[in-house]
Amino acid sequence: MITVDQPAVQDVYSVVEEVWNTFLGDGVPILPGARDLPDDAWYSAITVTGEWEALILIAMPLALAGRITTTMLGLPEDDECSTEDLTDALGELVNIVGGNIKSLMPGPSTLSLPLVAQGAVTTTSDLVEVCEVGVVWHDEPVLITISVPKLAGGAS
Amino acid sequence: MKILVVDDSRVMRQIVIRTLRQSGHGGNDILEAENGRQALEMVLAEHPDLVLSDWNMPEMTGIDLLDSLRQAGSTVTFGFVTSEGSEAMRSRASASGAAFLIAKPFTPEAFDAALSATKVG
Amino acid sequence: MHALIIDDSRTMRSILKRIVHELGFETTEAANGQEALDVLEAGLQADLCLIDWNMPLMDGYTFVTRVRADQRWRNLTLMMVTTESEHSQIVRALAAGAHEYVIKPFTAEAIVEKLELLGLHAKEVPA
Repeated sequence: MITVDQPAVQDVYSVVEEVWNTFLGDGVPILPGARDLPDDAWYSAITVTGEWEALILIAMPLALAGRITTTMLGLPEDDECSTEDLTDALGELVNIVGGNIKSLMPGPSTLSLPLVAQGAVTTTSDLVEVCEVGVVWHDEPVLITISVPKLAGGAS
Repeated sequence: MKILVVDDSRVMRQIVIRTLRQSGHGGNDILEAENGRQALEMVLAEHPDLVLSDWNMPEMTGIDLLDSLRQAGSTVTFGFVTSEGSEAMRSRASASGAAFLIAKPFTPEAFDAALSATKVG
Repeated sequence: MHALIIDDSRTMRSILKRIVHELGFETTEAANGQEALDVLEAGLQADLCLIDWNMPLMDGYTFVTRVRADQRWRNLTLMMVTTESEHSQIVRALAAGAHEYVIKPFTAEAIVEKLELLGLHAKEVPA
């Protein structure tokens, strides 16, 4: 039996697009596209455990992290965001995106609490990246990656 | 063909609809319901050719919806799109009169296979 | 009409606040179930509570059971705001007396529809 261990890129893109349109709709749409992330990018992470196990990461440059925060908090665009605000907004974002990605895969499973940090979250050697979706918003990159435990094998 | 998609998550409904279209069975009239009660009303009012439903919906499960439909005399073709595809669930689905159960992660090919087998549309 | 928004995430409180403001509600915020109960005990006249599930001190489920057990708040409409992960626990919340739930991400329209079903007539969402 062929087991598919990750969601389709197109489905992940749909999830991201829906979340953006609903909570980050500012007239500027996200567009598919891949660009390099700076070294000081902000990362938000969430894990799924249960019938499907995965680590979901959303990474973006600081400027975009700030824009996401001010947009979700309803603050003026050029307001400075505290680390607490960034952590709260990016955590909520990965929680919503992660929850919807989780519902694309077999259940039952649970979402962890989100983790937000500046600087690359590197996955350990027992995880393998199986899905990558790059989008561009306000001319800056956002990268969503999904990694699963190596023993799961990924799609062969 | 008129299709009713039932799921309490709007994002999931959108994805099911997109996958349906990609599978070549999108039809030209797709309705949405966000819970079993709404779905029941819509089937009786709109007479769709097919109902595609999630299983785990808190207020009325997909199985309860199917049982209610059959009790109400509806013979609409009914299939589940759901995150668990165990043998037990498949048997239960089939016993209640479901034509198929597609487990996640679903693909356009899985939709095509299931819908072609029911000869709907 | 007045909505009590209960969520430990300031971000989610902001989003909910903006949506219900547009629908004509005034709002009060609480960061957890205990704070929300304190505000109700102090006499806040709310019509609607929008409730997160996972909160410190007192979670959404406990808040719902406490409100439903008290005659003073028998007319208070309780709507759970949830991510998919809590989906399986919504049954418990509904059994405990929550009236409705909405899954993130939700649009203003989705909230309006549910409020209409519950007999709370919100303003039309401006085009």
